[in-house]
Amino acid sequence: MSTERHRDGGAVFWVATAVGWTVIAVAVIGVLSNSHDTQPSDLVRWVIGGALVHDFLWLPLVALIGTALARATRGRVPGPVRWALATTAVLAVVSWPFVRGYGRQAANPSLLPRNYAAGVGVYVAVVWGVALLLVVIGTVAGRRTPPPPTVPAATKPLPIGDGGGGDADGEPDGGEGT
Amino acid sequence: MVRPADVVTGVEERFESPLHETRTAAILGIALGVTFGACFATGLLSHLIQHPPGWFRWPSRPAGLYRATQGVHVTTGFVSIPILLAKLWTVFPRFWTWPPARNVAHAVERVTLLPLVAGAVFLLYSGVANVARFYPYPFFFPAAHYWVAWMTIGAMVAHVGAKAAVTRDALRRPTVADGAGETLPASARPVDRRAFLTGVAATSVALGLATAGSTVGPLSSLAVLGQRRPGFGPQGLPVNKTARGAGVVASARRPSYRLVVEGDVDERFELTLAQLEALPQRRVVLPIACVEGWSTSAHWTGVPVRDLLVRAGAPAGASVVVESLERNGRYRSSLLDPSHAHDRDTLLATRIGGEPLDIDHGYPVRLIGPNRPGVMQTKWVERLVVRR
Repeated sequence: MSTERHRDGGAVFWVATAVGWTVIAVAVIGVLSNSHDTQPSDLVRWVIGGALVHDFLWLPLVALIGTALARATRGRVPGPVRWALATTAVLAVVSWPFVRGYGRQAANPSLLPRNYAAGVGVYVAVVWGVALLLVVIGTVAGRRTPPPPTVPAATKPLPIGDGGGGDADGEPDGGEGT
Repeated sequence: MVRPADVVTGVEERFESPLHETRTAAILGIALGVTFGACFATGLLSHLIQHPPGWFRWPSRPAGLYRATQGVHVTTGFVSIPILLAKLWTVFPRFWTWPPARNVAHAVERVTLLPLVAGAVFLLYSGVANVARFYPYPFFFPAAHYWVAWMTIGAMVAHVGAKAAVTRDALRRPTVADGAGETLPASARPVDRRAFLTGVAATSVALGLATAGSTVGPLSSLAVLGQRRPGFGPQGLPVNKTARGAGVVASARRPSYRLVVEGDVDERFELTLAQLEALPQRRVVLPIACVEGWSTSAHWTGVPVRDLLVRAGAPAGASVVVESLERNGRYRSSLLDPSHAHDRDTLLATRIGGEPLDIDHGYPVRLIGPNRPGVMQTKWVERLVVRR
């Protein structure tokens, strides 16, 4: 690892900070001066709330599920499977308001006319198909070349974030060497 | 008593994936800068078109430009979601850094993360909800989305300034220490980093495909998150606001309907629908391009607005306010600036595909013009008010 260190501050930092916070101030003034439309007290709740949900619900859930998977499988969940899990979660969250049809209007059937559950289901199926294909390809390739030395996940410190050992995403165990 | 330091110290080290590293964060940050930048630019453009300040001129050509820019806005927003989530996951151990700030500059940098992260998350989830027409909040979405976008871009400018040197070094070298004594716990093997970033890109492409087909016709069958379906709706065209929703069912159908042309003109006049249809007609193919990202083309027949301006003796270079029968609503009128008012393809349309307009498409008369947002293609037109 490089020993180079970056000092905090500096001209670029302070100029960018001044410009950036000026723009932020303009935005805050914009929110306050258009309060009939922006409903500032509600808007603040929704803006901060989104970050809180992400930081204290979504990411901890990702970490917990990753950790549980890593422990249950001793860190041997193939990268493509982890990718498929993450992609499925993202597709599920993004498609949720479509699938639930909150915006549908009985008088306007041209609005949200698709079968969103089925459409997203096809995407999820394709994602898992691709992931399993990659696992098979990785397994076959791994039999042809000796695996690189790896550190078993069980010997590492308590993992709370990531679902496994040094073989991060995308590379099936015993796959391409370094 | 448990001190915060006891809770937090050591947490950062427990995120053991080597992908929590500066180089991965730098690459994702640059990708996010590109997608958010494109999304912000096209969103700002859409805002300027709908609320033009005095210095702003939006041309009427090319006819499909707004269709493209708004398609880019919505698609880059969806594409940004996996990149943002991956970026936040990558840097998440930093959240637990203790002490939380080592000096004033570092404290300022960390405080700036609040508007950055909260704004970015809000923009993406509220944008998705808008495409799904889901409004669980009391504020007006366009205004909230617009001002939070400025807040987020301001925070992004500050963040780029804070991370410029680190990012540059991280991209030059495989690993880099980041800050005075602060390093991410490990560095990933290139093959793992590539695999991770490829996975993020693949998920982004999937979301892009699920969305882009609302704009790009050949991809429409893949647009499983499309708000509309091409060809589905009255006369094969989706409807945004219905006549019932606008409260114009009775007024649009009344026999005494007249189109009024007035304002700064030599001769104010009124026309019945029959008289309007007796004037020389023009047939054009133009898209309805919605701010929510979908667009679809149709064959329109009507009278060029400029022909009516000539008949009224309107001054050259005049602009026109187009007013609807709709009595309330934010979009009951729209402005035709000179380039749009005098474009030969800007019509007061009475037919679509050769048939009289369905009432949900604006019967008896609607505005259709090139390179305009759908909300500015005023339906149920009652009046043209000419302005010098």
